[in-house]
Amino acid sequence: MANLLSTFFSSPSLVFTVAFLLRAVLLVYGLWQDANSPLKYTDIDYLVFTDAARFTFSPPSLPSPDCCPDPSLLNRLLLGIGSPYDRETYRYTPLLAYLLWPTTPAASASLPGPRVLWASWGKILFAAADLAAGYLLVAVLRRGRNMSGPRALRYVGAIWLLNPMVATISTRGSSEGLLGVLVAALLWAVLKRRVVLAGILLGLGVHFKIYPFIYAPAIVWWMDAERMGRPRRGNINSGAFDKLLHFVTRERLTLTLVSLATFGVLNYVMYTLYGHDFLQHTFLHHVTRIDHRHNFSPYNVLLYLASAAQQSGGFKIESVAFVPQLLLSVVLIPLVGAKKDLAATMLAQTFAFVTFNKVCTSQYFLWYMVFLPLYLPNSSLTRRPRLGLAALGLWVVAQAAWLQHGYELEFLGRSTFVPGLWWASLAFFLVNCWILGLIISDLGTNSTATSSTTTSGAKEVVVPLSSSAPSAEAEYEWGFDWADEHDTTWLTG
Amino acid sequence: MRKRTTFFHHNEDAIDPASLKVSGRTLSGPIIKAVREDRFTLGLDELPAELQELLRLSQELYIRWTSPVPYQAIGPWSSRLSPGLHVFFTPQADTGANVASDDELCLLLRRLGPVDCSSPQKSFSRLPNDRFSHATALEYYQPVYDLTHFVDYAVQYVCASSDAECKTRFDAVKQASSLDFSYDTISHVVKVTALWGRQDQSLSISAPASHRVEVGLLTPNQPPHLEEYEIGVTGLLTVLGEDSKPAPTMFTFPSRHKHAGTGFSSSFLTPTGLHPTMQLNIKSTRPPMEDSACALHALVTLPRTIFADKYQLEDPLFLGSKNLTALRYISQPVDLEAPDYVMDIWGSSVLLELNTPVTETKEGFTADIPLHLRYQAPQHGGESTYGVPYPAVFWACAAEEGTKFPSSPFDRINLGYDGLFGPRTLFWHLDPIAKSGGDRLIIEGKVPVLDLDKSRSINTVTSIVVGIGFAWVIYKLLMVYMRTGYGVAQPVEATEKKKQ
Repeated sequence: MANLLSTFFSSPSLVFTVAFLLRAVLLVYGLWQDANSPLKYTDIDYLVFTDAARFTFSPPSLPSPDCCPDPSLLNRLLLGIGSPYDRETYRYTPLLAYLLWPTTPAASASLPGPRVLWASWGKILFAAADLAAGYLLVAVLRRGRNMSGPRALRYVGAIWLLNPMVATISTRGSSEGLLGVLVAALLWAVLKRRVVLAGILLGLGVHFKIYPFIYAPAIVWWMDAERMGRPRRGNINSGAFDKLLHFVTRERLTLTLVSLATFGVLNYVMYTLYGHDFLQHTFLHHVTRIDHRHNFSPYNVLLYLASAAQQSGGFKIESVAFVPQLLLSVVLIPLVGAKKDLAATMLAQTFAFVTFNKVCTSQYFLWYMVFLPLYLPNSSLTRRPRLGLAALGLWVVAQAAWLQHGYELEFLGRSTFVPGLWWASLAFFLVNCWILGLIISDLGTNSTATSSTTTSGAKEVVVPLSSSAPSAEAEYEWGFDWADEHDTTWLTG
Repeated sequence: MRKRTTFFHHNEDAIDPASLKVSGRTLSGPIIKAVREDRFTLGLDELPAELQELLRLSQELYIRWTSPVPYQAIGPWSSRLSPGLHVFFTPQADTGANVASDDELCLLLRRLGPVDCSSPQKSFSRLPNDRFSHATALEYYQPVYDLTHFVDYAVQYVCASSDAECKTRFDAVKQASSLDFSYDTISHVVKVTALWGRQDQSLSISAPASHRVEVGLLTPNQPPHLEEYEIGVTGLLTVLGEDSKPAPTMFTFPSRHKHAGTGFSSSFLTPTGLHPTMQLNIKSTRPPMEDSACALHALVTLPRTIFADKYQLEDPLFLGSKNLTALRYISQPVDLEAPDYVMDIWGSSVLLELNTPVTETKEGFTADIPLHLRYQAPQHGGESTYGVPYPAVFWACAAEEGTKFPSSPFDRINLGYDGLFGPRTLFWHLDPIAKSGGDRLIIEGKVPVLDLDKSRSINTVTSIVVGIGFAWVIYKLLMVYMRTGYGVAQPVEATEKKKQ
């Protein structure tokens, strides 16, 4: 059995074929279930996306005469396009609707092949994004952690590519897979020192879903002159001004400007076309939302109570909830961790952001899950399996307790808000904080860093354990393909 | 002011015409089992000043109240509405006046009971204006199930303190099955109509000298060549003060609303949870017209506590599994997420076509309407109750080509659903039947809410727990920082050696 598994994981084409087949089977099964059962496989979100795409590629709808015409309407009239925000609850960038153009009836009629194929285009795209993210994760592991192909594939396969949860989410038509590939590509581009590409991906990611902005400080902090393969200028003990000057490197400036420009241009174009609707639904909604339907956040029950309360006064933790959240995910974790291990730092940042967020649903877990294959191989959770199992067990148990109360509330109509749901969400929060503490501890004692040497310039935190340490030059030219010279036996064996 | 009182009875409940006595401006007779309708027609100048002011700013205003107590409607009064207070309103096109009328309409509505209306702009929903011109622009509904509040106010306002007859007449309105107020700028008069369902009614009407009173005592009649869309009646008419005895009469008129001759009941499936299913139980699914296209419809009026998701009601497979054909209309907008306590709009109305079986079954037929509850404000005890009025269930049938429906003396227009159908549609109404054990046409449910009794510590404990979690993470960060700084991690062995 063990032999069979190791044979399986030593063949990337086999693992990716199985990952592909898993998604293909789920997709076809979903089509069957949708056609034959009133209970749908397809996620509601997918209907929102495809409706939004249909609205986008239809003539603009005119507002009721007594309402305020938006200047953006004129631009849409000129182009003859509608707005995705005509679909209620569409809370994403119009780019997503553009990507789903083939699902619109007009498009699928003009495209070759069966219509049902094009109607599932979004799911195919999201599933393909999963596979691409998996591909990039393997590349990051092999290069960044200098891990052997089969080992890298084993982690990425088990946690991401062959994880039924990940495959189900994307084939049901949830767009989180796109975020996964964007974030994986961002990390990959940074590690490959492709600064411009990283800037574009960062700007795009933030435009898509806001939260990737937390990665900006970590990447900037990581990207020091030494790391970027250039010798340190000036004296290390010089004054504050010199230090500042030293901090502002070409790469850091490039990354900042490119990401801001990407973000700015995208927002400008979208604002021109969709006006206030775009701002409201893509960004402001997440700040001002008042739908406090039960979710995993520790603040959930408190927010429900506060939203209905008339009186004010006293300390309100919910109004400063962003302080611990942003302090951890944007300032402290990147500061302490980014130079040690960028991937693990990004995991910890995302974990902190989701744990301390005012809203938390299970699709948010996918945001950090994409980093797990990069962190787990050298973590204390795998080094000490009992600790790892305890962490996983507590995470699952706290969630299950919450789900039990949620089920009783939602379907049986029992008032389980207090203590049930509330305690469960607080317990889940504490479990998450504990796990976050473990991840952070690992930043300081990461075994991958054992042979790290700070003298050799461009070398990553993780320096090859194997004999042939590539030079900075070689790293830049490092070919991104499977037939890596590191283990040529891998593909054949 | 003019007043028309009509009694409508079954043939077998007829009384001897000789027992009717007309003396001066009074008509009296024995107790009769009948439906009674009182209609007052008033000029604008006969109205209170505040109402005159409001009507000057209105193009159309229909206020329709229906009792939650089931009643038997016979004769021409077959049209049904969900129990509660319905308002259909079109403001004057002049937008400057809108602002002024905003508050006044809601102010007026508050006289009718506990009405949670801030202004037509915020609280009313828009009716489609692209279909048929006879629908009003705005709609409002409030579950007001009792007219006591209004009657007490009206008695104070209208009746002189010594006028016992006036008080008695108004008190009777508390028992009315429906009360309608209608005004439009074309007729320029106000019609107020009260209806009492089939029950024992005393035949004793007197007319004050100030206005004309007409009394009709009618019963169904089937003359030859009566069309399916017509109603035939026969009976006695008396104009008090003019006639010395009742005059016999017989006439037919077209009616868009008829009795389907069957009934339905409605309830929630249990457990209701946060997603209750409203089940309609229809006794007989035999279409009322043999050779005409008929479809069974339900107009569901949903206070803002509860709503239907139009996107969920798009899939034919899903609809089919609930015995529904299609969602024909839903008022806009319907927020799919907002909690109840932050909303201004009254709620929503939903028109569904039901998928009746081709072959008739003995058990009747059920259709399920999936609904969703909003979050309610926290309460002591952790539970909040809500009520949804029975829907209006009717067959909509296409009348023959060329059929015209000139206004009938009894038909109501602007009921919320008539404007959603073509002008040649006939409505055959099903009688709502209260569920056994209940005597009201309201489906009640309980919604779980946050229990205020257990909520005192939420703020403190949440703050403490978040603080502990945050402190723990900070502590871990600090440990890492103390050991390795913010730079590249030191090898484990090296660190340990240093310690030694």
